[in-house]
Amino acid sequence: MSGDILVTVGLALLNVAVALLLAPLYEGIMRKLRAALHSRIGPPITQPFLDLAKLLGKQDLRAVPGKLYAAAPALTLGSVLTLALLVPMGTRPPLGGAGDIIVLLYVAAISAVLLMLTAFAASGPYGAVGGSREMMILLSVEPVLAVTLVVGALKSGRLATLGILDWQVENGPTMSMAIAGIAFFLALQAQAGKLPFDVAEADQEIMGGPLIEQSGPRLALFRWALWSKQLVFAILLVELFLPWPRFGVFPADLVLTLLKALVVLVLVAVVDVVNPRLRIDQTMGYFTRVAFSSLAALAFAVIGM
Amino acid sequence: MLSAALVLMVVVPAFGAVVAGALKGDGPRWALSVGVAALVVLIGIYAALAAPGYRYHAAVGTLPWLDAMLDGPVFGVMLDPLAAVMLLVATVIGLFTVLYSTHYLREKNREHATGHEGQARYYFWLLLFLASMVGVAVSPNFLQLLIFWELTTLCSWALISFYQDERSLRSGFKALLMTQAGGAFFLVAVLILFVSVGSVEFTALARLPDGLRLWVFILLMIAAWAKAAQVPFHTWLPDAMAAPTPISAYLHAAAMVKAGVYLMARSVSAGWAVPPAGAIALGVMALATMFIALSYYFVQDDLKRLLAYSTIAHLGYVLLGVALGGLGSIIAFRGGVLHIVCHGFSKATLFFCAGALAYVTGTRSIAALGGLARSMPLTATAFFVGVLAVAGVPPFACFWSKFMILAGAIELRGGIGPVLVVLVLVESLVSFAWMLYVGQKVFLGPVTRLAEVHSDPPPAMGAVLLLLVLACLLAPAIGIPLVEMIGR
Amino acid sequence: MSTLGLLGLGVSLWLAGALASLLAGHRRAASGWLSVAFLVCGGLLLAAVVVRTFTAGPSPEAVLLRVGAIDADLVVRVDYLSALFLAITSFIAVLTALFSVEYMSRYRHDSVAKYFPLLLVLFVSIAGVVTTADFLSFLVCWELMTVASFFLVIFERESREGMRAGLKYFVVNQAATLGMLAGGLVLWSRVDSFHFLALRDAFGALLGGQPALAHLVIFLFFLAFATKAGVLPMGSWLPDAYPAAPSGATAAFGGTMTKLGIYGLLRVFLEIVPLSPATRAWGLVVALAGVGSLFVGTLTALKQDDVKRLMSFHVIGQVGYMFLGIGMGLFLLARSPMLGLLGLLAGVFHMLNHSLYKSCLFLGAGAVYYRAGSRSLSEVGGLGRYMPVTALCAGTAALAIAGVPPLNGFASKWMIYATAVKAGEQVPWLVLLAIVAIFISLVTLASFIKYLAGAFMGSRTTEEPVREVPAAMLVPQVALALTCVVFGLVPLMPLRYVHAAVTGLLPEAGLPDLAAALGDGPGLQMAVGMPDVAVWAPLPVAAALVVLGLFSYYVIQRAGGATVRDVPAWTCGEEEESTAAHYPASSFYVPFKHAFRGIYPQVRVTPPPLPVWLRRVFDVDRWLHSPTVRMVGRGASGVSRTHVGIPQVYLLWIVLGAVAVVAILLGLIG
Repeated sequence: MSGDILVTVGLALLNVAVALLLAPLYEGIMRKLRAALHSRIGPPITQPFLDLAKLLGKQDLRAVPGKLYAAAPALTLGSVLTLALLVPMGTRPPLGGAGDIIVLLYVAAISAVLLMLTAFAASGPYGAVGGSREMMILLSVEPVLAVTLVVGALKSGRLATLGILDWQVENGPTMSMAIAGIAFFLALQAQAGKLPFDVAEADQEIMGGPLIEQSGPRLALFRWALWSKQLVFAILLVELFLPWPRFGVFPADLVLTLLKALVVLVLVAVVDVVNPRLRIDQTMGYFTRVAFSSLAALAFAVIGM
Repeated sequence: MLSAALVLMVVVPAFGAVVAGALKGDGPRWALSVGVAALVVLIGIYAALAAPGYRYHAAVGTLPWLDAMLDGPVFGVMLDPLAAVMLLVATVIGLFTVLYSTHYLREKNREHATGHEGQARYYFWLLLFLASMVGVAVSPNFLQLLIFWELTTLCSWALISFYQDERSLRSGFKALLMTQAGGAFFLVAVLILFVSVGSVEFTALARLPDGLRLWVFILLMIAAWAKAAQVPFHTWLPDAMAAPTPISAYLHAAAMVKAGVYLMARSVSAGWAVPPAGAIALGVMALATMFIALSYYFVQDDLKRLLAYSTIAHLGYVLLGVALGGLGSIIAFRGGVLHIVCHGFSKATLFFCAGALAYVTGTRSIAALGGLARSMPLTATAFFVGVLAVAGVPPFACFWSKFMILAGAIELRGGIGPVLVVLVLVESLVSFAWMLYVGQKVFLGPVTRLAEVHSDPPPAMGAVLLLLVLACLLAPAIGIPLVEMIGR
Repeated sequence: MSTLGLLGLGVSLWLAGALASLLAGHRRAASGWLSVAFLVCGGLLLAAVVVRTFTAGPSPEAVLLRVGAIDADLVVRVDYLSALFLAITSFIAVLTALFSVEYMSRYRHDSVAKYFPLLLVLFVSIAGVVTTADFLSFLVCWELMTVASFFLVIFERESREGMRAGLKYFVVNQAATLGMLAGGLVLWSRVDSFHFLALRDAFGALLGGQPALAHLVIFLFFLAFATKAGVLPMGSWLPDAYPAAPSGATAAFGGTMTKLGIYGLLRVFLEIVPLSPATRAWGLVVALAGVGSLFVGTLTALKQDDVKRLMSFHVIGQVGYMFLGIGMGLFLLARSPMLGLLGLLAGVFHMLNHSLYKSCLFLGAGAVYYRAGSRSLSEVGGLGRYMPVTALCAGTAALAIAGVPPLNGFASKWMIYATAVKAGEQVPWLVLLAIVAIFISLVTLASFIKYLAGAFMGSRTTEEPVREVPAAMLVPQVALALTCVVFGLVPLMPLRYVHAAVTGLLPEAGLPDLAAALGDGPGLQMAVGMPDVAVWAPLPVAAALVVLGLFSYYVIQRAGGATVRDVPAWTCGEEEESTAAHYPASSFYVPFKHAFRGIYPQVRVTPPPLPVWLRRVFDVDRWLHSPTVRMVGRGASGVSRTHVGIPQVYLLWIVLGAVAVVAILLGLIG
């Protein structure tokens, strides 16, 4: 029993470490790739780490007094790290016994909620516009995620992430899961706040939107949280929809998963480079179509494909 | 002893009427009138408590030249649950009316300032009406009933015309003509009864041969329609609203119009031998009345006329219950009789509120009034309670009676029951909505010019309103045990 | 003292409180505190009733009164379901009354004599509704509840909207109740008794013999409860009526009264209608009505600017979740008792949670109105700085209603989704309902973020200083918010009682016990066919959130040793007044709202006018009485013309008369 707890704690530490430390690295790789596609040299791969280190030491400018506002970036990062505990990385998720896919969806929403509330807390109009857009993105993306995850639950008969993963490993690829995986990937693009769906931040337009008031360590934490979130979602994608091959050996599975996640994020970066930004109404229209298309996956799942 | 008490209940107010008419000072007259009405209520309570099993029947006097030809006494007293119900309505609301009138008919009344000169006339007729209404309730046969019935018509005429302006004279005359014409049908019915079975007892109706019974019943029904302002004789009642408001409350909502439905209840319950065709006609016309009266609601601006149409509709409810009773549903019959009590008290509440409004503001126009709840909280409360009670919202009075009528209706076999229930519920809902709307219009919302600086009416009127609010809640508690005793 | 004795005493105390507060009506504070005192005393007795019921089992039945005229008994009893609702009612009653004591001082020109007594009567009637065991007394209490709440709705009597809302409320509910009355009478006419169990027999017979009539009766009951609960389209009275009442009363409506629609639904579908194919069919109707309601209600809520109107639309939306859960449960009961039970539990648990957070939200809106004097999100703003406790409570409740873990709203929503998804293996379209519900849950989140942002964040639009509301108004909010958190962290604790209430209605259905359905805690482990189908353990997740949040704050955020400086909000260097560059709450989510415009059509009902010819026909005077009288009059004047005053003419008449008499006599003899 105590050994079990120890293993869980160890896994938890590992998941947190992956989410925390690999995320800037992957972001660095994505930046480098983007630069290459732009025919630029680009920053070094470690640039995100340097950014974070620099920002953490900078002055913390606060437009709103109050403890909750002060703690908001930390809570955001904390919620993303909690999300990482619910996602399997090579083996069972450390908190898998405490939350299934629905919990996962909602815990993922917490960070968005905190970001929005932080945006609204300061009275600036840009932040409010950004927060409002962030919510609309969430509104359009979350149903897609819900549909895709529910497809997995329907196939495997269980809502637990590990249950879906095991079923996938056992049964191999299916039509419905493939469609769901594609839809999930499209949603990931928006979750990561990448082009063509970066309307909420839209630096050239509303100057970072929700992040406009954030500076110093606060900005660092929000950035970090966003990077971690995109990594965690990429891992979730590969674990739930592309878990093959599975060796059953934890370190090998972990490494393979992380590599696959890197591939996914590279794809994300490519899409990001080759697309212009959509307007928010276009984004919503796009994801409405995606959501309805992903219902096809549901239909396939029902007829057992 | 009981018969003496019942006779006293007729004699005391009649005598009081003469004295009240003869007195010089207003103060003593008010005191005397209230005292007389209170005394009648007290004797009534005594009679109600003393009556063994509520089946009391006693001869009082005879006419030598008629005695030989009749099988029962010409003059007598009777107390049964039905009579007790009528007594309850006639005496208690009578007392309230007298009490209310002592403050209503004053110089301060902004609608109709009344000085010293009308008072003697007013209380004479009012107390005489009380006497004749008690007489109607305790009459043991059709003949005596007819006599008191015509007396109430006479009082009604005098009281409607009380203000003696052209409108009220005209309305009084109209009421007299129409109810009197109905009375003629009653007279013919009694004559036929007398000629064919040599009796004027209520039970004699059952002894008539089938065909004739139907005709006699129809004659009685026409009389009842005229008295109770049912279609097609409903037009006198809204016009009778020219009377002083306490009179409208007492005569034209609680008591006199109830004499008509009382006659029907008597005819049906005496022997339970109503021809089905007659009962069906009664029920159909009752329904028609309810809806025709309802159609008039929406165009009324005079609060009292609105209440008059509502009274017409509710008398329709009673007759519906009675008709269903004639078709075999005892529960509906009880419900109908209970509705006499419940509606009497609830509608009196509404009329007294309308009176209070007119007393304070000088107008009865719904359009001209608004936002009065702030200055007249008591009247507002009473009015809303009255609306809820009349509409049959539990736990207020009319819910119980309507519920019993509906319960009786649904028991009817042959698919007609649900239709009846639906129709009654629709009427109930629409009239409730409209009354509530009117209540809101008058008491809530922005304060209109006419409704500006006023207060609740004087204490005597306020006390009556308060008592009636309680009565709206408690009437079924007295009424249900009474109607429970009505059975086959 | 017996359970029913305690109940009687408790309810009598509440009634006495109504009377006492009425008599003290001219003294604002005295009236309020008196009602709180009586509510607390009575509430403690009711709490004892609840405890005793859950420990010692349902009370026996007792005949309160016998109405001989229709052979009806008025019966009371307390079973598990009653106890559950009694518990909610007492809790919310005390808190809303406590809140109202101070809050009512906002209405300087209105007497509290038309508030506190009615509030207490409302609670009495609610207690009555949930403890009666026969249709007649149920109906009486049900209507009394409508009456009391109607007067609370029209409390602000000068406002035309309030009047219109009150009228709409009463008439719509009255219509629904009359329908229910008709349905009850149909059943009664079969068995001559109003007792619920007798009605059950009536249903049994009716379903066998006249299924169409049986379904009509069920429909009428459903309509009445759906109307009261606020399910669209019948519930369109709700967003008008709720904002009109004072906030204390609105909280009581949202926390207790509307929930009685759910109570009625459970009572009728689980106790009165025997388990049959009808249950299944109506489960479908209930679930679909719920989904429709949550979809339209919540999306409409997003567009509202008035705080209370926004929350009222969310009442509609949240009731939709409850209907979805319960409807699913009814639908699935026959197929799989486990899934059926889970659906019912989810719906009822959501009802319980909704009572808590919606009351808290309405109280919070009241606190905002109390201090800022407006309920418009575009007019208030930035209150969080001045009213931190209110903001915190409102925030907790808002996140709870939006279903953010680990709060209570998430626990019940999770159960609804999980049940629907799991049941989706057999009934695929249930999954679609779950996805709609998940989507709408986010819309709820959006609209409450708008509320939080609009009311508590950003900058004040005016410079008037505001203070936190008094303690008596804070305590109820804090208590409710804390309960939301506790129920969220240990959902199994309240679920135990919910389970007892639901299974108590279906003793012979063989429903699984709680441990089999949801594990033995402290988290929820749903087991359908296989263990751990779905899991939600709030404690570990909450712990992880706290630990990782603290870690991020103390270890990461502080790592660089950055200094803190307070600055004004940055508007890109433009020197604008903050009010000029204000982004009002009404501008939130415009493209999204635009996509769902016209989802809540406004319909005005105007009665058709009576045709003129019909009015002519009804006017009997015109074509019957007046002509008759005129004719008689003309005849009379004709006769009078014979009187001319000349003796010779009279002599002639006498002679003619004599001749006529002789002729008649001769004719008769001959």
